[in-house]
Amino acid sequence: MMEETLKRIQAHKGVIGTVVINAEGIPIRTTLDNSTSVQYAGLLHQLTMKARSTVRDIDPQNDLTFLRIRSKKHEIMVAPVLKAANPF
Amino acid sequence: MMEETLKRIQAHKGVIGTVVINAEGIPIRTTLDNSTSVQYAGLLHQLTMKARSTVRDIDPQNDLTFLRIRSKKHEIMVAPVYENITIYSPCKQMC
Repeated sequence: MMEETLKRIQAHKGVIGTVVINAEGIPIRTTLDNSTSVQYAGLLHQLTMKARSTVRDIDPQNDLTFLRIRSKKHEIMVAPVLKAANPF
Repeated sequence: MMEETLKRIQAHKGVIGTVVINAEGIPIRTTLDNSTSVQYAGLLHQLTMKARSTVRDIDPQNDLTFLRIRSKKHEIMVAPVYENITIYSPCKQMC
């Protein structure tokens, strides 16, 4: 199902690349070259974690659902998938 | 002119509040209460600086123009303004 979703996103006009990043900030699926993927994954993982703690610092009941980083040259969209840790 | 822009933004349906933050992360205009403004200003200033350095780490020729932080309860939009400070002196050396 992830592959289907990735295909759909990548098929959109204007999409330059798609990277799936795991909890450690490592790219596990990507349409970009290896070094670009690793660079984006590392940097965006950190930024997303900071965005998430910003949201939760303001309101611990709230959580990040999406992040859009627009720059002069393009826009990066991050859809975090946040799993709740279940001790049971 | 900033006041005009703020009025226009604040008049939009669904806008909960508007805060103008200076380069030190201090709110200088706000439609929210003081403590909320200070909290948002400090946290969002830090996050915006990090977003900006992320963009520039990837490509030093690029720069952040807008940031949208969507959460379960609402969305925060940040429009950073980078001011160029020009120091002009009519003398060739320090007068």
